[in-house]
Amino acid sequence: MNLILKKDQLNHQLNAWRQDYEVHAPQSLENYTHFLPLQDEFELALDKAHNTRIPPKALFLPTSEALLKFTRVGGYEQVPTETAPRLIFGIRPCDAHAMTMLDTVFEQERYTDPHWQARHDATLLVGLGCHEPCQTGFCTTVGSGPFNHAGLDAILTDLGEIFLVETLTEKGERLFSQLETATEEQSTQASELQQAAAASMPIAFEKEGLKEKLDQNFDSPYWEEVSRSCLGCGVCTFLCPTCFCFDIVDEAQRGERVRNWDTCMFRTYSLEASGHNPRPSRVERTRQRLSHKYTYWVDQINQIGCTGCGRCVRYCPVGLDIRAMLRKAQQLPSEVAHV
Amino acid sequence: MPDLDALKAEAKRLLDEGVIEMVIGFKAGDTPLHPQPAFFKTSEEIDQLVYNALCQNNLATYLTRFPKTQKIGMLVRGCENRSVNALVFEGQHPRENLYLIGIPCEGIIDWRKIIEQAGEEVISVIEQSDNTVLVESKSGYFTLEKDTLLHESCARCIHPNPISADIVIGELLPEGDPALAREQVAAFANLSLQERYAWFRQEAERCIRCYACREACPMCYCEECFVDHVSPRWTESGTTPAGMQGWHIVRAFHQTGRCTSCGACERACPMDIKMTYLTEKLNEDMRQKYNFEAGMDTKTPPPFSTITLDDKSRFIV
Repeated sequence: MNLILKKDQLNHQLNAWRQDYEVHAPQSLENYTHFLPLQDEFELALDKAHNTRIPPKALFLPTSEALLKFTRVGGYEQVPTETAPRLIFGIRPCDAHAMTMLDTVFEQERYTDPHWQARHDATLLVGLGCHEPCQTGFCTTVGSGPFNHAGLDAILTDLGEIFLVETLTEKGERLFSQLETATEEQSTQASELQQAAAASMPIAFEKEGLKEKLDQNFDSPYWEEVSRSCLGCGVCTFLCPTCFCFDIVDEAQRGERVRNWDTCMFRTYSLEASGHNPRPSRVERTRQRLSHKYTYWVDQINQIGCTGCGRCVRYCPVGLDIRAMLRKAQQLPSEVAHV
Repeated sequence: MPDLDALKAEAKRLLDEGVIEMVIGFKAGDTPLHPQPAFFKTSEEIDQLVYNALCQNNLATYLTRFPKTQKIGMLVRGCENRSVNALVFEGQHPRENLYLIGIPCEGIIDWRKIIEQAGEEVISVIEQSDNTVLVESKSGYFTLEKDTLLHESCARCIHPNPISADIVIGELLPEGDPALAREQVAAFANLSLQERYAWFRQEAERCIRCYACREACPMCYCEECFVDHVSPRWTESGTTPAGMQGWHIVRAFHQTGRCTSCGACERACPMDIKMTYLTEKLNEDMRQKYNFEAGMDTKTPPPFSTITLDDKSRFIV
């Protein structure tokens, strides 16, 4: 159902939600935007053309969190996960789409991560579509889009004075039940704007056949070439909305078992206790990062593990661009078929 | 700006004559704000060489990746030249296997400052001869004063000229005023203890521990960084305040007498964390107390790298 949220009513609405939810929305922090809980006084930063610096995955998988507490004399207790109802307002479709992919990791039938699940179950996601898609983004190339619905309870389209609200789940419907219905013209206007936004985005690389190219060129010199200037830092993966790797460390002095973000781009990530490292250089680590997103995830869930948010492109300290790397991959030779 | 054709001609000559096996420089990036470090092995490849004020990395960080026997050419600005010298002193590459192509540096543009003024979607950046930069973005055309765009480290640079390059392409520039560097140090050092700690926490605790600062730094080349050491563990893992503060303070101290004020750490940071105020304080201490600046030659040991029998601290010897 399409509804209307007047912009001059937005803060009032957010404050009303604060009665029932902890409301997180993008706000300015230093020179970037960040999802922060709304306080009595707040100023939203929704007009930035692109995304929060840290993806909202951090609200579900914090950079560091204690899993359990222990003492030296024995005994431990689990650290409970906070489960106050939350509403994340203004999440971009690429980041919400990423949440559905992360669910396949953290909410598997056999292994469910209780921390992730508790936060997920307690959270509503209200998206803000991108009527002016960002330059480094390539969501439409990888099967997402500036108004993609995946993972969202409702999505907003900016129509100037008003937001057009499309509710997508029952929870979303309840959240916006007080609003008036949109007129047919408003709905048409929104849908035209949504289509125009998607159409304005060039196709960054050819997706068809990419997985096969990467699979067949596992040992290609291509990997050395594309990783040559890589610094081996964690910017691309830590800022990635679909990267989820973590490390579990016992902080003995504090008596806590903690889970920290980790990344396949670090040397220590794949370093084994024997001293052997199966991914000894940036070449293998770069191959892992790209292959995980563009082939292994396709094997596992039949989706590319990238939603094209463009953060890795924008913030790589040496200007490495995954789009260019994948265009280059498409030029690699295909395996000659054996007759 | 140095003459790009002259740079290319020298790089080609070096490769063609077999003086070196590779030139480390920059090539055009895939996005307008980010030229990429590049490694050129043939004179044909040199056609892709670019150099402009957006080349934000310290190329010396790549030096320790290559065998010491490899003959390497590198574009060096003032800070890069000094980083190379410091690395040569530390035995990371023999000077005779390096050919430094010097560029007097007018300062690196901080791409974040372009975005602040011209909007987030930048289409092209052109440096003009009158010290302005023409930026085309989705919001229109902007003529920006280059001085307002310089990264802080460059705005207060003392040694813009390559000091020991094998060849210098371009006119030498006047030296910077050390008073500017002192000003920045004073802005921090003159605060009260509580204010300094608040400043430090404000910066350090935004850290996500991606270690871009470490990887961008030519002097951070340890096979195993102290934060990766597990037995004993030197600092807390993760993004607890203790972990983040531990990382930032020890990182800075490891640079004492080694940092050349290039600012590559800050430019690499995805969280816009200021960190050169720490290293600049240490650099100023080195100048004041030991009359020492890192990388001014390849022979003088940094004060904290010397051990003599008459050392005042008896515990060392």
